[in-house]
Amino acid sequence: MGAELRLMTPTKDPVQPDDRLLVETIRGGDAEAFEQLVRRKTPKVYALCYRIIGNAEDAKDIAQLVFIKLWENLGKYDSAYAFDTWLYRMVTNVAIDFIRNRQSRENAVNSTLRLVRTSTDAEQGVVMQRKEIETVFNEVSSVLSPKQKTIFVMREMEDLPSAEIAKILGCRESTVRNHLFNARKLMQAQLRQRYPEYAQLWRGQ
Amino acid sequence: MISCDAFRAQFTAATEDAALLEHVRSCDPCLPVALAIDPEILFRSMGSDNLVPPGGIDAFVGDVMREVRLRSTETAMERRPVSWTRRLAIAATIAIGVLGGAAIYQYETSFTSTPLNIERAALHPTSFMSRPVIENYESETATIVEVPTEGVDDVKVVMVFDESLPADL
Repeated sequence: MGAELRLMTPTKDPVQPDDRLLVETIRGGDAEAFEQLVRRKTPKVYALCYRIIGNAEDAKDIAQLVFIKLWENLGKYDSAYAFDTWLYRMVTNVAIDFIRNRQSRENAVNSTLRLVRTSTDAEQGVVMQRKEIETVFNEVSSVLSPKQKTIFVMREMEDLPSAEIAKILGCRESTVRNHLFNARKLMQAQLRQRYPEYAQLWRGQ
Repeated sequence: MISCDAFRAQFTAATEDAALLEHVRSCDPCLPVALAIDPEILFRSMGSDNLVPPGGIDAFVGDVMREVRLRSTETAMERRPVSWTRRLAIAATIAIGVLGGAAIYQYETSFTSTPLNIERAALHPTSFMSRPVIENYESETATIVEVPTEGVDDVKVVMVFDESLPADL
């Protein structure tokens, strides 16, 4: 019951009334209003891109591409729906496409390279540095599919409820939960293999 | 942001409290404490609130707006409206060009067909020889020369030199 209540209560309001007004102003041809919107949404858009892509420069390029697409497609936005949901859908589509293309390029260049840590690294003990956690995440999440990673990032780091993620990705909530479950399972296996010291900390279930 | 003491007192496993999550994502000393209570917080502690694009937000926004203005200008140039009179004038120009070209082509074709007719006529010379152009000619000033023939089937040629006749006869 507690879990149901948790899912039904959004942790943050995705709808900002100002966004809709701003969009209406932009549709009227006000470029300054668009600049205001970009400034307002940049931290969230960039953060989501960065967490999904795992590289600052690529994330920046993808975030810029998202805003240009936003400018070009703003006429298609239906103000009956939450603006953030629409924007996040755009972000995830562009980021997932980028990851898929990058994966196929990397596979073509080197299909056998795998980063495996040595036992000496693991024996050095747990270091609670945020940078280290980020490195671990980037490495173990590389085994996830683009969609699994996107769902994991939105749920665990953006704190979006499963229902909202389902809306963004245009799928069922049960699909989101399945992807999340599988993502955690795969990451836990990777942790055990590469970072046994972290595997003890993170159960992944 | 809540204090470390408040965080440590309130933090529980699988929390969805935004204030607690915000704290664990920014406070390094509280991270090991939170991990000891809830290992699941490991990756959740990363969050994404403090992330800024390389070069800063101002530079990022500036780049986006520059690209947007550039694209807007290109789109405006592509979509410049053409009035119906202008469209009509363009259509008329094209039509005149096509018709003029067709007329010139036809005119030149009629000229080039003339030598063909001559060539065809030359293939059947007997049709001209069956009947002389001038059957009878009488003149006191004319000099008539008859070219001698070499055989019975040979063409008979008679040349008439008369100064009283017009030059273009």
